[in-house]
Amino acid sequence: MTAVPQQPDAALAPAREHSPALAFEGFEARYPFARSAAVGPVDLAVRAGERVLLLGPSGSGKSTLLLALTGLVPQAVPAETAGGVRLFGAPVAGCRPSDWAGRVGQFFQDADQTLCGMRVEDEIAFAPENLAWPEPQIHAAVKKALAAVGLPQTVRRRRSATLSGGEKQLVALAATIAADPELLVADEPTASLSPRAARRFRALLADWPAERAALVVDHRLDGLVDVVDRVIVLGDDGLIVADGPPHVVFRRHCAALDARGIWTPLAADLDRELEAGGLAAETMPLTVAAALDALDARGLDGEERGRARTALAAFVSRHAPPPARPAGDAPPVVSLEAAACAPFLGPVVVSQVGLEIRPGEVVGILGANGAGKSTLGFALAGLLRLKAGRRVGAMGAVSFQNPEAQFSAGSVAAEIETALASGGDTGGRASRAARILRDWDLERLAARHPFELSQGEKRRLALACLAADERARLVVLDEPLAGLDRRGAAMVEAAVAGYVRAGRAVAIVTHDMDFALRLCPRCLVLGQGRVLADGAGATLMRDLGLMQRAGLEPPQIAPALDWLERHA
Amino acid sequence: MTSPRWTQREILILAVIGAVFAVLYLGWVQVWLVSQAVFGPVTMDIAMGFWFIASIVAAAIIRKPGAAFLAEVLAAAIELLLGSPAGLMLVVSAAIQGAGAEAVFAATRWRNYSLPVLMAAGVGAALASFAYTWVRFDYGALEPGLLVLMFTLRCLSGALLGGLLGHVVVEALYRTGVLSGLKIDHDRRAAAA
Amino acid sequence: MLSWLHPLPKLAVALAFLLASILVFDLVFQIALSLGMVLVLVVFERVPVWKVLLLCVPFALFGFGFLTTSLLFRQQAGVALDAAGQSLWHALPFSAGLTLFFRALAGGLVSMAFALTTDPGQLVRALMACRLLPPRFAYALFSALELVPDLAGAANEIRLARAMRTGRRPRRIPGPVEIGALVVPLLAFAVRRAGRAAIAMEARGLAAGGARTIINLPRFSRRDAVFVGLAGLVLAMLVAGARTGWSLSALAGAA
Ligand SMILES: Nc1ncnc2c1ncn2[C@@H]1O[C@H](COP(=O)(O)OP(=O)(O)OP(=O)(O)O)[C@@H](O)[C@H]1O
Ligand SMILES: Nc1ncnc2c1ncn2[C@@H]1O[C@H](COP(=O)(O)OP(=O)(O)OP(=O)(O)O)[C@@H](O)[C@H]1O
Ligand SMILES: [Mg+2]
Ligand SMILES: [Mg+2]
Repeated sequence: MTAVPQQPDAALAPAREHSPALAFEGFEARYPFARSAAVGPVDLAVRAGERVLLLGPSGSGKSTLLLALTGLVPQAVPAETAGGVRLFGAPVAGCRPSDWAGRVGQFFQDADQTLCGMRVEDEIAFAPENLAWPEPQIHAAVKKALAAVGLPQTVRRRRSATLSGGEKQLVALAATIAADPELLVADEPTASLSPRAARRFRALLADWPAERAALVVDHRLDGLVDVVDRVIVLGDDGLIVADGPPHVVFRRHCAALDARGIWTPLAADLDRELEAGGLAAETMPLTVAAALDALDARGLDGEERGRARTALAAFVSRHAPPPARPAGDAPPVVSLEAAACAPFLGPVVVSQVGLEIRPGEVVGILGANGAGKSTLGFALAGLLRLKAGRRVGAMGAVSFQNPEAQFSAGSVAAEIETALASGGDTGGRASRAARILRDWDLERLAARHPFELSQGEKRRLALACLAADERARLVVLDEPLAGLDRRGAAMVEAAVAGYVRAGRAVAIVTHDMDFALRLCPRCLVLGQGRVLADGAGATLMRDLGLMQRAGLEPPQIAPALDWLERHA
Repeated sequence: MTSPRWTQREILILAVIGAVFAVLYLGWVQVWLVSQAVFGPVTMDIAMGFWFIASIVAAAIIRKPGAAFLAEVLAAAIELLLGSPAGLMLVVSAAIQGAGAEAVFAATRWRNYSLPVLMAAGVGAALASFAYTWVRFDYGALEPGLLVLMFTLRCLSGALLGGLLGHVVVEALYRTGVLSGLKIDHDRRAAAA
Repeated sequence: MLSWLHPLPKLAVALAFLLASILVFDLVFQIALSLGMVLVLVVFERVPVWKVLLLCVPFALFGFGFLTTSLLFRQQAGVALDAAGQSLWHALPFSAGLTLFFRALAGGLVSMAFALTTDPGQLVRALMACRLLPPRFAYALFSALELVPDLAGAANEIRLARAMRTGRRPRRIPGPVEIGALVVPLLAFAVRRAGRAAIAMEARGLAAGGARTIINLPRFSRRDAVFVGLAGLVLAMLVAGARTGWSLSALAGAA
């Protein structure tokens, strides 16, 4: 399962040369009544046997591009398009989107766009059914797909709407690969997957059959870049900025990517530090661990080791945890005692929760998919009635895992306005609205309808609304990074810093261990229906036994920390 | 967009409108039953209009032949599967009501969905349903004065609870932006542009 | 037990019984039908009695409406209905009302027995398999049916978001005003979900025409034949009973 080519450039062997599986030819798309084109004009081709990672800032048109691939844009999603799209050499314009179901598996950014709102089993069987596979074969495919994404067979009869965010994504993934397509198209498949589930997707991509193609869009790059053959970078204007094997793109175009607020893997950052120290490997390693192995392989002499240490120290200091400040003995903002939390109309999923959060604390809530993080988040904010135990403290504010759930107004500006109004401040509302729009880079979109935004833009809007309302003493952020580009992530970090300065308590539900490590001095680890651990993130995350039990993985940066300790 | 062929999205929207209103209808049935037990049979004519709203809303959103009729029948079918006191006859009465509304839209060649037309459609459904209940419950036996009262009440209810309320719902729904890309959206933006 | 049966024959039988309960205007017939249904539900379906009675309440209210109608305009209704029914009861004043009452009850119970013992998914599948429903519509109906239980969850999310904006905890059960305020957001949720499901269905190959497999399709079995036979017999006897005004000798003659 996890046999992964460590040298991706070796993957570009001539054996993989084939006819283009998909090709955009000067393709351009404009949504109805939009002033500017959402994407393009784009020229790009993916050969069969290539695994391509498509990067781009939020709102650059990646999802639009993928929707256009089988003609859903413009046939199902109204839009004006120019230029052409070819699949397996045939023009898409002439066919119905459904004609491609047999050869193209599409995983959309929004799990509800991949799922039809039926039971899990029917969802996964749906594509094979439409392809008129014989029934036994379909049952086998369903079983196989569930196993491939690591879902238990027991979810078969569940309605997909009662699944957790990540579980839903896993079902969607299973439904996508069930009809084993020739071309896999996945839009942010790991956005709300736990590290382990994300690694399973990575493995799936790693042993994706050599003659088949895959086109993946994602913001979480670590653990993905080392299994793709090629990285294509889409700029803000929807034009292609860079294109090449990952180790080349991330070394040569790193500055350009940063400037556009596009994520780069941690390894790229480390590589830059080492290059400054004159210690870089000739081909850029794509994981921190690989980089450090390469470093050790050089057999460093004393002086080099010194430079290496400074380089790593600089690298770590940029991503390492802040000094855990004492929470102080201020009265807690919220406290749970022997609480049993259950999702709406669901069973108790976390019980015996006892914890206090004090002003100015930032607490990370970690756990596998379906561990009960969102449920606990709502319980902390006092929005869910506890099944047992008690909660003390005023009601908090939550940014939902699904940002759309929060929208109620007719435009982005109006959304902010309502948030401010409910915030109860009268003076200078207009100026504050303007500032919030600027802080979250929403000015361009102020007049847009909240539901006509890209996923990342929706997330930013939801977080902006939360920031606008300053009453709540406790702020719960549920997967704030899902779907955000680097610029967006920076905004989140700034906002959290602001909350802390204002003496508000913050709880962050996240799957990004490095993000949690950087932002949350204190972490809760959920698993097996309870809080497995509650303590300093830095120590918990490097307790391998605990990570194992919780179904988590240590952060990507851990090897660097280990290295520094070894060579202290 | 204006193709007579139904897109999958339109079919699905029709279905979910049916589902949502099926639930509301069930709730309304309880309200009506209780009030009827209290205030007597004429209550039915006052409450009736609300049972036409699904066809009004669906027609105003999808704007295609058959929308009004299918929506009403679907709502009834789903209501039935959820267990409605009216039983399977519900589907028959729904079909007749739907046909009544559909007839009015057909008269405008499925072009005009302004408030007056929607209210007219409500009245159309009311007429059809009155004819139906006449046959089913043998209104001939009732004295004329009462009949006239019931008739006017039902037409009013159809126009207000059906047409007007339906219009209000569609307007509110349009403001939420979920109707973008549908026929209604194109007609409006075209008119605005 | 009824739930083991193929939905389509069951549907046919249910329709037959309903048709009979509408055409045969006879108090005993309606009462017998109602009691029979209650018996089936309690004995074969193991539905707790209290639940059956509870589910009967709306039907009873529904019927009560007719009762009051016929009481209000007794003579007219009485006359009209005497014409309709040849029962021994039409001497009694508001027997017509009673009959209407039990007709509503019987009809409701039949529909309920069907609804309680039929998985909508299976019904839609069966309809699709028998070409009674084209797949594009069948799957629309499918996701509409699956939507209904999700409305509660959606309503809950909307209420939570509201609570956050207003800073007031939501009530355990929404009042009528709040329910009214939920209608449009819920419709919006449903329409949005419909749009997405449409994309999902097209992307995964649901199209008009063309062969497709249907998994977990209910199969006909001998059970269904036996059921239809028995149901037919029972219905015939009941109708015969009503026709002959329940005089045993005539029944014996008929049998
Ligand atoms: N339904 C729509 N109607 C109008 N404009 C839209 C719609 N969907 C997206 N857009 C706009 O088109 C642009 C591209 O959107 P798209 O979702 O393709 O971006 P993206 O690259 O996927 O962003 P993200 O990384 O946040 O998902 C954005 O500016 C967005 O606001
Ligand atoms: N209505 C429901 N009925 C049954 N189970 C439910 C229901 N709602 C949620 N669950 C289950 O509760 C568990 C916790 O859900 P929750 O959303 O809190 O998980 P999570 O930790 O946030 O997962 P993720 O990381 O994927 O968001 C999940 O396993 C989910 O399947
Ligand atoms: Mg996107
Ligand atoms: Mg969650």
